Amino acid sequence: MEAGKFAVQDPAKRAMVLTALFIAQEQFGYLSPQAIARVAERLNMAPEDVYETATFYSMFRFKPVGRHVIQVCEGLSCHLAGGAERLVEYLQRTLGIGPGETTLDGMFTLQTVQCLASCGTSPTMRIDDTLYESLTTDKVDMILQALRGEG
Amino acid sequence: MTNVRVTIDGQEVLVPAGSTVLEAARLAGIKISTLCDHPAIEPIGACRVCLVEIEKQRVLQPACTFPVSEGMVVHTNSERVQESRRFVLQLLFSERNHFCMFCQMSGSCELQSLAYENGLDHWEFDRAFTKFSVDASRKYFAMDHNRCILCRRCIRACDELVGNGTLGLKNRGANTIIIADLDVPFGESSCVSCGTCLQICPTGALMDRASAYMGAKNEITRVKSRCMACSVGCGVELVVRDNRVIRVEGDWEAAPNKGLLCEIGRFHPLHEERHRLRKPLVRREGILVEATWEEALRAAAQGLKAAGQEVCTVASGFVTNEEAAALQALPGAKALMGSAPVAGDGSCLGVLDEADVYIMVNTDLAKDHQVAGFAIKRSVRHRGARLVVLSDQPTKMDDWAIARWTLAEADRAVRLAAEAQMPAIIYTPEGAALAETLAAQLPRAKRVALAPLGNALGLAQAGISQGFDGQKAAAYVVVAGEAPAMPAPLASALDKADFVVAQASYREPWDQVADVLLPMPTTFEKSGTMVNTEGHAYALSAAVKVTLPSVQEMAAQLGSLL
Repeated sequence: MEAGKFAVQDPAKRAMVLTALFIAQEQFGYLSPQAIARVAERLNMAPEDVYETATFYSMFRFKPVGRHVIQVCEGLSCHLAGGAERLVEYLQRTLGIGPGETTLDGMFTLQTVQCLASCGTSPTMRIDDTLYESLTTDKVDMILQALRGEG
Repeated sequence: MTNVRVTIDGQEVLVPAGSTVLEAARLAGIKISTLCDHPAIEPIGACRVCLVEIEKQRVLQPACTFPVSEGMVVHTNSERVQESRRFVLQLLFSERNHFCMFCQMSGSCELQSLAYENGLDHWEFDRAFTKFSVDASRKYFAMDHNRCILCRRCIRACDELVGNGTLGLKNRGANTIIIADLDVPFGESSCVSCGTCLQICPTGALMDRASAYMGAKNEITRVKSRCMACSVGCGVELVVRDNRVIRVEGDWEAAPNKGLLCEIGRFHPLHEERHRLRKPLVRREGILVEATWEEALRAAAQGLKAAGQEVCTVASGFVTNEEAAALQALPGAKALMGSAPVAGDGSCLGVLDEADVYIMVNTDLAKDHQVAGFAIKRSVRHRGARLVVLSDQPTKMDDWAIARWTLAEADRAVRLAAEAQMPAIIYTPEGAALAETLAAQLPRAKRVALAPLGNALGLAQAGISQGFDGQKAAAYVVVAGEAPAMPAPLASALDKADFVVAQASYREPWDQVADVLLPMPTTFEKSGTMVNTEGHAYALSAAVKVTLPSVQEMAAQLGSLL
């Protein structure tokens, strides 16, 4: 088969796929089949190729998440600081969900991650784009309350 | 084209510049083990089995993708290469379930053969594998991800050859699996069940339901023949064991299909649900009862004579040239079980891989002549060709088309194709008149006329060239073969006829109308020739021996009685 047959695909456009997926995830909250199809259409790619790329990376979501995504660090420093296990356990009890699950009111999704690159202020968690450091259970209560208060 | 000189295992060969090391080795007659590579698809260097040592290269390089250069020196079987090949095989075997003794591909598996060739009697690594569920949602074959080596042959075949693009991957590393569309069950996906992925899979990951565990490589024979289900006339390899066809595969070396087949050619014969007809049946007091061949022929002659001189013989597309010639022994008119074929401009189906604009006129290549449709799909996907569908009804090709316009809007297609380098107009008799009008306005256009029945052109050459559009004869002889259904004009004519003799491979639907029903060998069971829509004569070889009387015997004996 001739080598030039993939020439119709625009390499510069394809290179945008990760950026486009991040934008789509921000807009739709997760990568639904519709979101994938839209990215594929804009970049002139096959939807299967976009999906293949997206599933290769761990930071893309394919199911709806709550309004706020809580990522608790389980990395070595947070673990040694005594936070990780206790924090995850506390959040599970408070929210009534396990890691990977979303509260029934659609407010919070709980996730565990490996490192949030803030070992000096462990234990840490990230909610959406905000990093929370040197956590205690009291602090967690306050943070959750504030987020609930926002509506 | 310029040539370059390379030395492979001490042997100097002159190969075209741009060849890969693997291609050069093949020219030199040197075998390099491969696994993910397949001649019909683009190499991707995924499996690392074909790694070879190239002098002045720091590390081993995959032969399937590495281009040759002047003065290159290659060692395909050095100690280092052998060691690396065994290492790669060990890695492949240690991930997922490759316990050959339980696998239906054992004995025909490319991974297993490589292990034997390379003396791999064990593997040193722990068996670390995730268990995946088996997807058996497809009618004709199942997917066991646990036996998949992620060579991506199926994905490439679906994309590059069939142009369907159903298959893809998800996840990464050890969790990577093959998926359909955006991860839906295969049976609910956009898959068209052509089975190309099944045929190209090197391991037991894709399992044919009809032939699973029915015979390994050394227990089967392969017979090259032709599919008569439509006029593309695809080359097939019939996989036979114990005088039975267990699987149909596309013949990679045969034009025009080059290994591809469609659902109808590959799977329908082995999933036939109609009753096979092996003994003649004669209608007595309204009921079909078994009879001997002689009794049946006498009853047929009697009935036809009683109906008068007006006999019409109708032949289906499953009738070979030789059978058609023999039908001249029968008196009366002869007709085709469908429309008469129309002539194109002699363009071969190869045009479909060159054209830049396609106008598909009043037909659906995703239903009939599917393998021709695959050529259009892959051209749309990979060559930037454009398809226009002219049809008043939706077609299954619409997703590949830039537009579907009604027959009345044909002018729009002309305007679009006017600037094309090589427009191709594809049609069957139903769209012939419009296609001619379009062609008259497009001087550069190629006209690809597809014959309506498998061997329509062969039958026409044998003098059976009239389409059947409701001729009224008092009696009919229908030579049906495996024809799946009666076209409407024939059904109403047979309904009104005084007497009907049918020779067919299956009871249905002929048992509804026939007064005498005679058995007929299927395409697998007869030798002969057919002429495909391009006018090429192709040979059929009997893969299975049967004792059923042939059409030739029927025609000669019935002819002499009349």
